Amino acid sequence: MDEPLKVWFAREILAHEAALVRYLLRAWRNRDDVHDLRQEIYARVYEAAKQSRPNSPRAFLFTTARHLLTDRLRRGRIVSIEAVGDIEELNVIVDEVSPERRVTAREELKRLARAFDALPPRSREVIWLRRVEGLSQKQVASRLGISERTVESHIFTGMRQLADGFLATSLTQGDGAATVLTKIGDSTHGQQTD
Amino acid sequence: MDSRQIEERAAAWLAKRDSGEWTAEDERELAEWLAESACNEVAFIRLEAVWDQTLRLKALGAGKRPGTVPPPNAWRLSPYPVEASQSKSLAAPGIGTPGAQRRRSGLLAAAAVFLVVIVSGIVWHVRSQGPIYRTAIGGIATVPMSDGSSVTLNTDSAIRVAVTEVQREVELDRGEAFFQVAADPKRPFVVNVGKKRVVAVGTKFSVRRIDEGDMRVVVTEGKVRVEDASALVTLRLIPPRESPSNSAQPTAARPMEGEIFLNAGTVARSIDEGLLVQRRDLAEAEEYVGWRTGFLTFREIPLRDAVAEFNRYNERKITIADPSVAAMPISGKFRATNFEAFVRLLEDGFPVRARHTTEGIVLTDRAKT
Repeated sequence: MDEPLKVWFAREILAHEAALVRYLLRAWRNRDDVHDLRQEIYARVYEAAKQSRPNSPRAFLFTTARHLLTDRLRRGRIVSIEAVGDIEELNVIVDEVSPERRVTAREELKRLARAFDALPPRSREVIWLRRVEGLSQKQVASRLGISERTVESHIFTGMRQLADGFLATSLTQGDGAATVLTKIGDSTHGQQTD
Repeated sequence: MDSRQIEERAAAWLAKRDSGEWTAEDERELAEWLAESACNEVAFIRLEAVWDQTLRLKALGAGKRPGTVPPPNAWRLSPYPVEASQSKSLAAPGIGTPGAQRRRSGLLAAAAVFLVVIVSGIVWHVRSQGPIYRTAIGGIATVPMSDGSSVTLNTDSAIRVAVTEVQREVELDRGEAFFQVAADPKRPFVVNVGKKRVVAVGTKFSVRRIDEGDMRVVVTEGKVRVEDASALVTLRLIPPRESPSNSAQPTAARPMEGEIFLNAGTVARSIDEGLLVQRRDLAEAEEYVGWRTGFLTFREIPLRDAVAEFNRYNERKITIADPSVAAMPISGKFRATNFEAFVRLLEDGFPVRARHTTEGIVLTDRAKT
């Protein structure tokens, strides 16, 4: 895998997960589809970025989201515009967080701590011992008196919960900071994924 | 594979790689799996990125005794920030959050919330000439009342408030307001619309003034009573076709002599001396008051009615030139002040052409032009 691309993707795209999911929840009626939509949007953005990185990643992400929803609608031959709701909502969403505003390391650590604290106690323990104290899975198993397999499964589930908890609060949710509208608004329709 | 299965698969790879028992064979299989699809790749990257982040928890572990896992919320960092998003979603568009306000595009944003408060002395001294609250077109404002109740004013609305020791009274002079009434059996909460009165004790409801003296009442919690000051007037039954912008049949149209009780889930419209009462499910009644969060929800209503709703919220008005366009049924959920988006969607999905003029937007039948 292309390491710089991975780093770019995590920093520029995944950072907007909370806003993206909020947008999908608002624009798409069926909540159950959101996980799937999110993944497909990420995949499209990632594929496109292999060719060239968009100038405004956030705007590109939301444009991709909008196109995907439109495609899904066409495929489903849904005549009513109900299903997408106010799809243009994204004009509002996109500027929710100014691109200039980078989350500080400290804020990020707080979010991480919060997501970590929300884990079930056992998973929390396992991940702490493994990541902070640097014990191997095997050592964690003997320390806690559980099987290695159980340790691995705590990591398997804990990692996903942590991702949801951490990314779901990503960026500066509703910090009310002044944001730049025109700049992002302009680029929203500038990049096409299809 | 659906996205959740892919995510599980990605997590399984990462957990296995983390176990230390990782062979060249595993590495090759992972590479193959990743090469299968971009969906696999992004799911993997996402989890890996967060997993890498967990190393930063070490910063929290500094100074802690090894071998013990600190209890939750016991970090030495300053207290976690209050989730600003929560208060934001409650205050929603309009008043209270300058950031939310600045976000809104269009010319209305600047002038969106324009709340005029004329404080005329101490509230309990004031009778019917109480404080006046107003919103401009496109504005929404929530006003707390001294008794613990609150009023949310919709676009282009005006109320006068008078709270005394025996009564809580609001005159709805213009527009629409949603009331969240603090329970107080000793002091009825009365909303006056011309000669009609809506009386509540601990409930949530919305009243909209339509033309002279007519109103629409939506009850979303509890119960309200509707009275007419000129109680001797005989009421006529209102045929359904006169029902405002909705296809649901009225279940009752009763004389307004004396009083009428409306329960949660009720939408009632008064026309002249009649009151048309429609029972809806609660979720649908809630949609009527969705404007509090800045949204309009339409269910199969003619475009002309949808347009009329939008026009309440925007200075630039939409007009419809062709009757065939006016009658098109529309469903959807839209941001009230973003009528440009609404018009774009119409052009995308319907045989409608929009012409932008200095006054606003004119919708025509695309087939005819």
